[in-house]
Amino acid sequence: MTNRTLYDLRAVEKSFVKGKERITVFSDLNMSIAEGDFLAIMGPSGSGKTTLLNLLGGVDQPTGGEVWFDDARVDTLSENELAQWRANNIGFIFQFYNLMPMLNAARNVELPLLLTNLSKKQRKQSVDTALELVGLADRAKHMPSEMSGGQQQRVAVARAIISDPKLLLCDEPTGDLDRKTADEILEMLQLLNREFGKTIVMVTHDPEAAKYAKRTLHLDKGEFVEKDLAS
Amino acid sequence: MRKLFSVLGKIYRYLWLIITSPVWLPFWCIGWLSEKIGLSNWIADATMGSGAYLVYKNLTRKPLRLFLTVFATFIAFLIFGTITAFQVAFDSGVELSADDRLVTVNKINFTQPLPISYVNKVKAVEGVSGVVHMNWFGGYYQDPRQQVLTFAVDQEAMLDVYDEIIITEEEASSWKQNRQGIIVGKSIADTHGWKVGDRIPLSSNIFSQRDGNSTWEFDVEAVYTGADAQTDTNGVYIHYKYFNETQSFGGDYIGWMGVRTTDTNLNEQVIKAIDDMFINSPFETETVPEKAFNKAFLEQIGDIGLILGSVVVAAFFIILVIVGNSMVLSVRERTGEIGVMKTLGFKSMRIFRMVLGESLLVALVGGGLGILASYGVTGMINSVPNPLPTLVLNSNVITTAFAYVAALGLITGIIPAVSALRLNIITALTRT
Amino acid sequence: MTGIFSQIWAVIIMNIRSLPRRLWMSLAAIFAISVVVAVLLSFLSMVKGFQQTLEGTGSEDVAIVTRSGSRSELNSSMGRDTVNIITTAPGIAKNADGAPVYSAELYVIVDGIKRSSGTEANLPMRGISLDGFALRDQVSIVEGRVFVPGTNEIIVGAGVLREFDGFELGKQIRFGKTSWTVVGVFSTGGSAFESELWADARTIQSQFQRGSSFQTVRIRLDETGNVDGMLKMVEDDPRLILDVETEASFFAEQGEAMNAIITFGWVISIVMSLGALAGALNTMYTSVSSRAAEIATLRAIGFSNTSAFFGTLAESIVLSLLGGVLGALVSYSFMDGLSASTMGSNFTQVVFTFALTPELFQNGILLALFIGVVGGFFPAWRAARLPVAIAFQRGN
Repeated sequence: MTNRTLYDLRAVEKSFVKGKERITVFSDLNMSIAEGDFLAIMGPSGSGKTTLLNLLGGVDQPTGGEVWFDDARVDTLSENELAQWRANNIGFIFQFYNLMPMLNAARNVELPLLLTNLSKKQRKQSVDTALELVGLADRAKHMPSEMSGGQQQRVAVARAIISDPKLLLCDEPTGDLDRKTADEILEMLQLLNREFGKTIVMVTHDPEAAKYAKRTLHLDKGEFVEKDLAS
Repeated sequence: MRKLFSVLGKIYRYLWLIITSPVWLPFWCIGWLSEKIGLSNWIADATMGSGAYLVYKNLTRKPLRLFLTVFATFIAFLIFGTITAFQVAFDSGVELSADDRLVTVNKINFTQPLPISYVNKVKAVEGVSGVVHMNWFGGYYQDPRQQVLTFAVDQEAMLDVYDEIIITEEEASSWKQNRQGIIVGKSIADTHGWKVGDRIPLSSNIFSQRDGNSTWEFDVEAVYTGADAQTDTNGVYIHYKYFNETQSFGGDYIGWMGVRTTDTNLNEQVIKAIDDMFINSPFETETVPEKAFNKAFLEQIGDIGLILGSVVVAAFFIILVIVGNSMVLSVRERTGEIGVMKTLGFKSMRIFRMVLGESLLVALVGGGLGILASYGVTGMINSVPNPLPTLVLNSNVITTAFAYVAALGLITGIIPAVSALRLNIITALTRT
Repeated sequence: MTGIFSQIWAVIIMNIRSLPRRLWMSLAAIFAISVVVAVLLSFLSMVKGFQQTLEGTGSEDVAIVTRSGSRSELNSSMGRDTVNIITTAPGIAKNADGAPVYSAELYVIVDGIKRSSGTEANLPMRGISLDGFALRDQVSIVEGRVFVPGTNEIIVGAGVLREFDGFELGKQIRFGKTSWTVVGVFSTGGSAFESELWADARTIQSQFQRGSSFQTVRIRLDETGNVDGMLKMVEDDPRLILDVETEASFFAEQGEAMNAIITFGWVISIVMSLGALAGALNTMYTSVSSRAAEIATLRAIGFSNTSAFFGTLAESIVLSLLGGVLGALVSYSFMDGLSASTMGSNFTQVVFTFALTPELFQNGILLALFIGVVGGFFPAWRAARLPVAIAFQRGN
């Protein structure tokens, strides 16, 4: 089964200047992500996981090489174009949920839809569907402060999928949750991957979490060591 | 000690809430009610799409801070509205001067007299439609400290030349016929409770009667109003003849003349004609348009405009600094969230506009309330009898006020808006 | 007992040391308070200067006689015979020859060009005899010489020179048809007389068609402040319709007209200080919330909540005092000594200088202090009642 390549990093280089030094994170990174893939990226701190995720999310731009998403170049887009691109294609899930504290769950989930042309009614429908999916329909009017960590993360997941993005990027999504809740979230991610065909890239330091992914890549000092789960 | 603190604290907390309840209670009630009937949800839905709901939610995160910044803005615009009304009132004396009226005074100074014979000579000048001679009486009512602006005039010509004095035909004719008649302005009448038909005593700082007494008695024939809301109604007018016959010195002299021209274009010509007539006589004259005369008079008091203007500028500076700072702080506290919004795909420009929206909203609410309050304050001042002209917030003032509201909103919001615009996502998300 | 005080002191020092971190907010509060204080002091110093000029103008040793009810020199008038009668009253000082020491004077208004506005304003011209000089404290000719009686010579007050154009030494001036020459400049130590032009009384009488009448009589008193002798004579003699009072109280009354401005200045300042108060409260609440962890940690260590309270209150007071002093200094440097002139009760210009006295300075500081205390009280309260648990929370 060959799925088409969704994401292609070709000879990507990323470095930045800190004081007088030039620090290179990646010097010749090559990476392919197929559509429908569920990829876990593990590695020690300083290995460049976060930078990689930022590059994948269009939050950061490489200093060299090419980034191809869905047969279009991403690294040449302007900041505004990137914003639009992110809105259309990417869903983010953060370690600390990053919900807007002053909005209730439904409004938080609705946020990405403000970037579309959907009507009020259509937005409401989408929000209801998304909250149903993550099992929080009854907590639609609750504020983040009134919810547990696990519930907040589920709201975050709902927010991440509501625009139906092709790619979900997760930065330590279970880092702040207990084992049981973490499992629930990971199962949800698996569901999204298997049933809905979402491509997921998850950065994690937890090997148990990595098990939920289809394959794991290890990153060390800016280079990959691949480790297939199946083997 | 600790127990005392906590008990006091409890009392304080509730006492404070009770005292300030007139302020927050209406808002709370409205909020509760709209929540109940689903209005707030409907409003939220309506405003969500444009981002206005987010603006509102961001502002109300820290209600106390919002209240303080709105309050500071409110104060500044209350000051602006009230003081500008004062300025307009002072200027009105000049603005409302008739363009076709001149004032002829003694060239040395307007306190020096002119002979009454000049009146007919001025009447004969081409372009003159009416002349009324006037004397400053230096009047006071009961106490020398209670000054009353009293003018002894030619009663036949007075109302024709100064047609902004409004009384009925009957009252006018009654006054003209009564030597001891006096017409009083509404403002001064209200202050002292004078009504038509009263017999009032007025004394003079300057003049005294033949018998040494400096008090004259008058019959109130009319209480006049002004043609414009801001026309001064603090003056009273008596017959020159009554005053002249009874007072003990300075006979047959007048103070100045009010001259009406047939056409404003003839003003220059009439001025020259009048003054030329009396050059080299013992009483040389100086004739100026009424507007110029009033303006010069005001300028003698000092640059009131400058003083009042400085106060307003000072007030605006204060809130600019306070509100501006508040905005910068509140945006800085939200860098994480702004970063998240950007990752979601919100363009930087949109976030820029949202921050500006916040500062504009604060300015609008605070400023709007401040202007409303200045209506109240000026209304209160107007209702109490006082020597000031009527304070009016005309459309000019209101327009200027809202221009300042917009300016304030923009200035206080621009710095935080720009910093939100330029906020780098990675920096924002990695900040603790 | 030293325990609580040293705690409070420690917290105060800590709070003040950490001010630079909250630099902009603190500066905003300081600035707001300084503006309020500056506005208040500007108004007060204007009024004070005006009042001082008027008060300094009158002497307790000299009585001023005016026509009853006239209230100002301009409005008054009296004949030669009245002057002759009243100067025979008891209580009047006599000179070496046994004659009463007095000066009968006139007061007319002429026009001068005010420097600040470039427009005409009313200037008082006083007809005075040489005796009149002796009746004013501190008169001195600073330039030129005194006028020669009977001529059209005038001397101008130092204040007139400052505020008006065209009165320099040697200048020829026309008032209507009359022509005058400036022969000297006089000073009276800053009193209202410096806003006047002085000429010979008889010349004024003839040039302004006054016949032999005067407007006021100034009389030196035998006993300081005692005008009873003259008052009794006025009461007993029906020909005398006069007001008699000491010159000091006469001018003091004229200064009262400024009361309206004092009220206005205070009202405006209080309203503005409400705005500054909002700013101070904002600053202090932010200060407390941004240091919540620090304060809670201190409390966890064992510092009492009293010390947290006073520490925060002290910070607010320090900020407001800084603002008050700044405002007072700005006001002082711009306003104190500023020369201005305005219309006095005679419709004439009174030249005065703004005066920021120590007493007014005090008022300014008190206002700042008030804002500081009220603005700091509730935040200090909140600091005292912060739950210690905050110290143990992450990421505040």
